[in-house]
Amino acid sequence: MSGIRPSEAGIIRSPNPDALAARIGLRIARGLSERSDALPHDVTERLRVARMRAVDRARELRKLSAAPAPQQQRGGTFVISGPPSWWLRLASLAPLALLVVGLLFIQSSYVDQQVRAAAEIDAAILTDELPPQAYSDPGFAEYLRSPHSVE
Amino acid sequence: MATDHELSEFLKSTERRAFKRTAFAVRDDEAALDIVQDSMIRLAEKYADRPAAELPLLFQRILSNATMDWFRRQRVRNAVVQNFSQFETEAEGGEFDLLETLQLAEDSVSTESAADSVGRAQILIQIEQEVSQLPQRQREAFLLRYWEELDVAETAAVMGCSEGSVKTHCSRAVHALAKALKAKGITP
Repeated sequence: MSGIRPSEAGIIRSPNPDALAARIGLRIARGLSERSDALPHDVTERLRVARMRAVDRARELRKLSAAPAPQQQRGGTFVISGPPSWWLRLASLAPLALLVVGLLFIQSSYVDQQVRAAAEIDAAILTDELPPQAYSDPGFAEYLRSPHSVE
Repeated sequence: MATDHELSEFLKSTERRAFKRTAFAVRDDEAALDIVQDSMIRLAEKYADRPAAELPLLFQRILSNATMDWFRRQRVRNAVVQNFSQFETEAEGGEFDLLETLQLAEDSVSTESAADSVGRAQILIQIEQEVSQLPQRQREAFLLRYWEELDVAETAAVMGCSEGSVKTHCSRAVHALAKALKAKGITP
């Protein structure tokens, strides 16, 4: 019976218990309807006012949704409404791009600095009186570790 | 999309029943009026763009939810002691025979037409009293099904329960009403 409304005549005339219950239910509901027709005047007035408010509200919202979204300068202030345009999206990416470029520059200068330092050490070793091969000699290494070398 | 006129006509057609249904539930006319008003505004704000055919079911759902919200708020404030036992479905007496009532119902048209207006008004008041005394879930199912004329699936959707529960609630409500009214000498 789920798709059938109780007021349909067929259900009322059929002899099954559901139909009999529906018949009684509809009779009682009819009595309730008669009773609700005689509501006090103040109640019907409040219902009327509530209905009018609801309809007015729906009308206002329709007008708001139908009006075009403002997207222009107002007294020097740019008002952003609606979907952002392509250049606004691009502008929002600019700080990120700037940050990436900055990081790359810092890394490059750091590597440069490291290379320069290493070159200076190499140059110092090569121009020293002591030949570089001496540092791989075990005897010279032992000499450097000995207390005499400190003196 | 429902036009303003369609929305207005729909609300006009349902506002009295909505008020009475809510008043049965909350037993306070002022609160019922507020709930109905809030429901109308909610319908207008959120669903006015829906087709007119969808409005009845949407409004019934909004009204039921608004009524439940009211009960929740009342419970929070401890202003209303609600009898939770009314939410339970109690078994009705097995001795009652609906068919017996319906045999008498055959004569009801002539009984009603013979009654004078005062007597008829009294009967309507008693019917209303008996409906208001039904357990809440039974009353809600009964009113949605037979007064708002929703089908079982729609009633179940509004009440948030199964179709089987709706049938059970409706059946028990009708039996209880028929029995109570018969006891008062009124044949439904």
